Amino acid sequence: MIEYLQKNSGEIIAALGQHIYISAIAAIIAIIIAVPLAIIMIDHPKGGEFVSQVAGVIQTIPSLAILGLLIPFVGIGTLPAIIALVLYAIMPIFQNSYSGLTNIDPILIEAADAFGVSKRFKLFRVQLPLALPMIVSGIRIAVVLIIGTTTLAALIGGGGLGTYILVGIQTNNDNALVVGAVLSAILALLANGLIKLLGKVSLKRIVIGVATLLILFGGYTVGSKLIAQRTQTITIAGKMGGEPEVLINMYKDLIEEDNPNVKVQLKSNFGGTSFLFKALKSGKIDIYPEFTGTVMQSLVKTSDSVSHNPQKSYQEAKQLLKQQFDMTYLKPMKYENDYALAIRTADAKKYNLKTLSDLQKLSSNFNAAFDPDFYQQADGYPGLKMTYGIEFASVKTMEPSLRYEALADNKIDVTDAYTTDPQLRQYALTTLKDDQSFFPPYQGAPLMKASFAKKNPKVVKSLNKLAGKITTKDMQEMNYQVSVKHRKASIVAKEYLLKHNLIEK
Amino acid sequence: MIEFKNVSKEYEQGLALNNLNLNIDEGELFVLVGPSGSGKTTLLKMINGLNTPTTGEIRIADEDIKNSNIRQLRHNIGYVLQAGALFPNMTVEQNVSIQLDLLGWNETRKHDRICELMVRVGLDPETFLSRMPSELSGGEAQRVGIVRALAGQPNVVLMDEPFSALDPISRAQLQELVFELHREIKTTFVFVTHDMQEALKLADRLAVLYQGELQQVGKPQDILSHPANQFVKDFFDNDTSVEIFLQQVIDAGFGVQQTDETAIPMGDDQTIFDWSREIHDRPNQLIVVDQIILQPEDLVNYMATLRVGVIR
Repeated sequence: MIEYLQKNSGEIIAALGQHIYISAIAAIIAIIIAVPLAIIMIDHPKGGEFVSQVAGVIQTIPSLAILGLLIPFVGIGTLPAIIALVLYAIMPIFQNSYSGLTNIDPILIEAADAFGVSKRFKLFRVQLPLALPMIVSGIRIAVVLIIGTTTLAALIGGGGLGTYILVGIQTNNDNALVVGAVLSAILALLANGLIKLLGKVSLKRIVIGVATLLILFGGYTVGSKLIAQRTQTITIAGKMGGEPEVLINMYKDLIEEDNPNVKVQLKSNFGGTSFLFKALKSGKIDIYPEFTGTVMQSLVKTSDSVSHNPQKSYQEAKQLLKQQFDMTYLKPMKYENDYALAIRTADAKKYNLKTLSDLQKLSSNFNAAFDPDFYQQADGYPGLKMTYGIEFASVKTMEPSLRYEALADNKIDVTDAYTTDPQLRQYALTTLKDDQSFFPPYQGAPLMKASFAKKNPKVVKSLNKLAGKITTKDMQEMNYQVSVKHRKASIVAKEYLLKHNLIEK
Repeated sequence: MIEFKNVSKEYEQGLALNNLNLNIDEGELFVLVGPSGSGKTTLLKMINGLNTPTTGEIRIADEDIKNSNIRQLRHNIGYVLQAGALFPNMTVEQNVSIQLDLLGWNETRKHDRICELMVRVGLDPETFLSRMPSELSGGEAQRVGIVRALAGQPNVVLMDEPFSALDPISRAQLQELVFELHREIKTTFVFVTHDMQEALKLADRLAVLYQGELQQVGKPQDILSHPANQFVKDFFDNDTSVEIFLQQVIDAGFGVQQTDETAIPMGDDQTIFDWSREIHDRPNQLIVVDQIILQPEDLVNYMATLRVGVIR
């Protein structure tokens, strides 16, 4: 645990900073919207009631659903995360501010009126100070809510501590999970205490403080933008998990080695296939590694059946991406991360099983469990059953991260696998050869817009150095280092590049 | 002079004030009295525009207040509310300065005026000006409320049941204070109360209101001696008969502490009317209240100390 913290301290601090940044912006925007709205509604009880209702309804929508709903409108990344958080935080702030402002002893309001004070005096010297404890407690509730919910931002590439929670779940890495969860909890507690303290400070000081923070913040943002503009920044993202992270780190090293004026920004564990593809289309990211099989199955529209010849299927994918989306798909690496069925190596030896055809003969003795997607997709279990005539003793679906362990523990006898999964090595599992070429080939290659490729030929050249490199065994070993041994992806990537003379230092 | 001309106020639930005509003279301490729901507070709040009549007009110094700048008007009207109604987020000094700030007084003049008034109401400025309202007793808070109302040397001072929440001792002290302050500064005071004793004690003139109708206007002794109708008569009878306790007679210094076997014991919560019935039946009967002997003459002598209609 401590080792993990030391090794990753830089990234953890960056994620913490990003978490605070997202939470703070969302909180400030929510306050700027909700408090003045409550002030306006003081004299409009019906309007106030209406706003309360609407905010309440928004509150009941799960935050994950709000994130999903926003993607078509604002895309992915930090912006939709902030919008969702703001929507979420408005209700507690508004509700508390409004009831604080409207439940002031009417005799005090009458007194203020009777002395002939101005509206401004009444608001700033009477109503707001008297409602302040309620307003502050609303803000406290909202901030704690925001800090907790910000962990979901990682799902749509918003970054923050949620990234560690996601990585922890995806790669079975308890250290990452604990870091993400504990840090966000501590952050919530600290913020809660800090705001409680602020509640005891006078209104005037709070206003001055917030104004100062806004100015500093604005200055920082503008300043960092100005500095950042001098060099070209390329954003490369990867899907969830260790393998894409290793790949994009290789991309970064290769590009930066050849192009000193280019700065590569990595967004690892950025999301699922459709997130990344949308992000690439909208220009939020410039490059991400994609598999030929996924392109054919999920991204392009085609009526032809998918070729099982790797070269052919890559050419098809490349052409269809160009036609349908005007994208450039660079040359693939050597390894294939195909679907396969895995069994215990002990069983393989005992029954002398090498191919799926071998398995067919014994299938009625085997209990199977599959990833739910694999269980349903035509290129998964249903197709497999038809092609090989396999009939298992029992078939059920199982959370993907659990299935290898279940297999190793003799709970099941066969499961679906990816050929580069490090768990195959970890749990002494064997994959069976697809002797009738049923599974489509999954070759990895960098995907980008055609316009980007045209504008950056040197980047394309750097990335092509990986074409035909990395064997399945290499990839499995690197995945093992990252996902099981918990070594840093950037180091594992660099080691490979150095060993194969792809970079110099 | 404050004039109400044909003033009516109608709410959805009915008529709160019905065609009311009333003049309040310059410099008098005028009391509006009546049971709750009689419309007295509604009437008071029409003077500073917190409430507006449905029909009719209110004139101050011969000007219809509809035509005057309402904030300007309020700057020159002092207002004392129930239980002080001090702003809990401001110090005593900030509370009493509100109208002076609005009137644009400079710091020195403001401070001198506030200190002078604080001393006058019996609060040491050095001790009290920096305190928060939560650190004051009910009586102290209402004294500050009075300072706040008088600070700007207003033309009119309105008081809306200011002492109803106070204990009897503080109430008596503050009634005395208001009485004296009015005598000193000779500004028009309009005072609302449901307490008949308070009304009789303070008023130069008073108006009796009942269910939105003006019942009678006059000096306390006129109203007591010539009640205009049965309601006024009952209201005052009721009020006097229940409220003078034997303890008040003893507090006024009557009676001697001794033992007498013939004295009839009576409780300190019985009234002088119970006592007078006893004397009516047995003219020479002594009574004893908590070991204090009272003679029949004490009743006559006590009654003689009371002003007409004014019961302390």
